[in-house]
Amino acid sequence: MKLEYEQVHCVFSWAWDIGNVEDHGVTSSNGVVGGGGEADEVGAIGALGGNGRPSEADDDVCGICRASYNGTCPACKFPGDECPLVVGECNHNFHVHCIQQWLTTATARGLCPMCRQRFALKRGVRINAPHATRFEQLAQERDDDYMEE
Amino acid sequence: MASLPKRIIKRLVSDPVPGITAEPHEDNLRYFQVTIEGPQQSPYENGVFHLELFLPDDYPMEAPKVRFLTKIYHPNIDRLGRICLDVLKTNWSPALQIRTVLLSIQALLASPNPNDPLANDVAEDWIQNEDGAIATAREWTKRYAKPN
Repeated sequence: MKLEYEQVHCVFSWAWDIGNVEDHGVTSSNGVVGGGGEADEVGAIGALGGNGRPSEADDDVCGICRASYNGTCPACKFPGDECPLVVGECNHNFHVHCIQQWLTTATARGLCPMCRQRFALKRGVRINAPHATRFEQLAQERDDDYMEE
Repeated sequence: MASLPKRIIKRLVSDPVPGITAEPHEDNLRYFQVTIEGPQQSPYENGVFHLELFLPDDYPMEAPKVRFLTKIYHPNIDRLGRICLDVLKTNWSPALQIRTVLLSIQALLASPNPNDPLANDVAEDWIQNEDGAIATAREWTKRYAKPN
């Protein structure tokens, strides 16, 4: 069977659990360099689950609506295609609806809410066409505003 | 609307900030009664200031509206209790929260900025006679910002 990608969207995010470096050291010391990849991954996942890391720690929520990355923005009911996450050049993630709503405000001035750098989609990360088009529109409107000033 | 209590109340209740309280009104969850303790070593120390905070419908896209209810002698706070603070106006970001806003206001009490005044008469007094202005601020704190 042959599969072709038509669309790609981010459904979850993850990070290295660097808070427990020592535990991981023990786990991975059993692995053979270059050959223990799979074993290490299993070990890491087990360690994460065992640590019981709170699912809504600050770094796991949208910086705008504070709902989990795994959930939706406050306006949507179902996660998935309709309400994906986007990642900026600055590596800050938001629900697409949250960041787009922010960028339509005059106060935003096109800036990322977290770092106040100009918000642009991270290059090389694909998002669905309608969302991408909306970002282009927003960038265009912002540039027009600059021209007027 | 449905997400409002979760976003706000959870953090405020589970993770309070020392010297700051914020309680939502029973009838209106967007309306908070706030108290801020005057920072140590400022003219406002030992005072407890009451404020009201209201979350507009567009929050967090729009900043909360905050106002001092307790009279205060401060160059960036006028006689109606309105506050001149950039994060409440042009520098608002939806990544800010009630707690960070209230911390900013507490920091404003610790470092008044008479060069960007809202209460012009107070700012003038502050620039021309800083010791006198600070004495007045202390006196007002003692008189109006009594801890209960």
